[in-house]
Amino acid sequence: MPKSYSEINQKIKNGDVVVVTAEEMIKIVEDQGEQVAAEEIDVVTTGTFGPMCSSGAFLNFGHSDPPIKLEHVWLNEVHAYHGNAAVDCYIGVTRMADIKPFDYGGGNVIEDLVSRKSIRLRGTSYTTDCYPLEEIDTYFTIDDLNQAILCNPRNAYQKYVCAVNSTDKTIYTYMGKLLPNLGNAHYAGAGCLNPLCNDPDYETIGIGTRIFLGGGIGYVMGEGTQHDPKNGFGTLFLKGDLKQMKPEYLRGVNFEKYGPSMSVGVGIPIPILNENLARKTAIKDEDIETEVIDYGIPRRNRPVLRKVNYKELKSGKIDIDGKEVKVSSLSSLFYARKIANELKTWIEDGIFFLNPPAENLPTNTTYNPMKQVSELKFVKDLKKPAVTCFDDCDIKVVAEKIIEENTNHIVIIDKDRYLIGIVTSFDVTKAIARDKSHIKDIITKKVIIAKDNEPAEVAARRMKMNDISALPIINDEKQVIGIITSEELM
Amino acid sequence: MLPLAIIRDIDDYSKIINEILKYNITFNILKFTTGSSGVNLLLDVPEDKIKMITDALTQNKVVVNKKGRVIVDDDKCIDCGACLSLCPTDALYFDESLRLKFSYEKCIGCLICLDSCPRRAIEEM
Repeated sequence: MPKSYSEINQKIKNGDVVVVTAEEMIKIVEDQGEQVAAEEIDVVTTGTFGPMCSSGAFLNFGHSDPPIKLEHVWLNEVHAYHGNAAVDCYIGVTRMADIKPFDYGGGNVIEDLVSRKSIRLRGTSYTTDCYPLEEIDTYFTIDDLNQAILCNPRNAYQKYVCAVNSTDKTIYTYMGKLLPNLGNAHYAGAGCLNPLCNDPDYETIGIGTRIFLGGGIGYVMGEGTQHDPKNGFGTLFLKGDLKQMKPEYLRGVNFEKYGPSMSVGVGIPIPILNENLARKTAIKDEDIETEVIDYGIPRRNRPVLRKVNYKELKSGKIDIDGKEVKVSSLSSLFYARKIANELKTWIEDGIFFLNPPAENLPTNTTYNPMKQVSELKFVKDLKKPAVTCFDDCDIKVVAEKIIEENTNHIVIIDKDRYLIGIVTSFDVTKAIARDKSHIKDIITKKVIIAKDNEPAEVAARRMKMNDISALPIINDEKQVIGIITSEELM
Repeated sequence: MLPLAIIRDIDDYSKIINEILKYNITFNILKFTTGSSGVNLLLDVPEDKIKMITDALTQNKVVVNKKGRVIVDDDKCIDCGACLSLCPTDALYFDESLRLKFSYEKCIGCLICLDSCPRRAIEEM
């Protein structure tokens, strides 16, 4: 027999509501079946706790005397967005501090705010007749603010991908540190505890749904950005009163060489209105499938290496092409469980009630790529023939080629055009100054290369990161087929 | 246990390797780095041979250091798992309640985890 929201809320008031977590629901449905579970269980609680970059908070400081119209605002040296009224701002979690950029960011500011620490507010203004103050430098805590509203455009992904790196170098990503040659794997999300996984048709989670957010009460404002319901990657737009929240569930994080973010705790109650919802909330980790993606390829469509489910991911090891790869999560399963249990206690204690959504989330929208008006250029579009020498030739020959071909880079190859090294005009100058005559004395053997099908911008970044001005281009057989220099990229 | 030897030049390096080879011990070189203090070698040697090797290296005027392991600050740690998949010896692991634990005994001081922690909760000892 179907239940209604008001029946469930009446039970909460009476103190006889039956609440279980999404993990506990699995066994109940397995043992007793959907029908009995639907009758006996009133609410299933979910939880997730992971880095959610699309998060931030609106703050209102109140007016200074004389008044200031803040043009630029820094909170603990983190630049906040100021395009609203005079003393409102939005602090985004991924914004890096001007000082200590990779160690402190917007996420840390929010954690410090909810920890009730003192925050430095620095602001500047172009001044107006009504707002004459030019600069402000003061300190405040969250209790001094009129409003502090956590407002996260994209949280609580239904599920996420698992990231690996197939290249021969360690890469640092928003999916953490990924070792070369599929050395490890990272995933995110809490699997069967994930809120949207337990309501995959968005029957009960919608606009206005009351939720657990950061240890306080929050609400679903609607679909999150990049909401992708058709592929099972739904997202939520969330808000809540930051003043009620707890630092335990809002943690600033800083990923090495990527930057700051914030781990956000979200818990959503699913009312068991009917048998279908009993079945859906009994979803197991093995029923939630995602993909292992190669983050070594810096493109929008990264290669999919295999399908994988959350049971395999939570086991700590996955198999990729016969190789056993250690896998771990960027989300905390410990905290996901803790959130589901805390929400369960709130409902049992009669301090949290459920409400039907004012409107359901869309189920048919698509998530599209960025429209770019300029054509993507590849290395092959910008390459030029490499000026080459064999490794046994004299430095004088190299010097002559530099003049003849008006180039700064001579690629050293063997008879079959396999790459051996690179010599620059500076190397030759150095050789002459230091009286060296063999290429072997000046050659750089550890050569950073490019491939034909890489976007030119990726090659440009590689040059910049390595502080060099040219990359020999090699084919799959590692033979030299050209060169790309910073001149072509400008 | 891991002696960390600081070696100044290539002759020192061969001297040390020869010295260890004398004892007919299988060992792994976990890390080979160069820095301002010279060449750094991170060797994985059997527990019962540590004293013997340390003595041999010390006689060769090689600085032997048993440090290089990490500590985890539980107050900063949020029990995610960003470090877990990087640890080659499972010294970083989850207990039954899925809280992150660290085994000093299992840590080999490779320090791969050091820059993986988004909470900066892992520090070199």
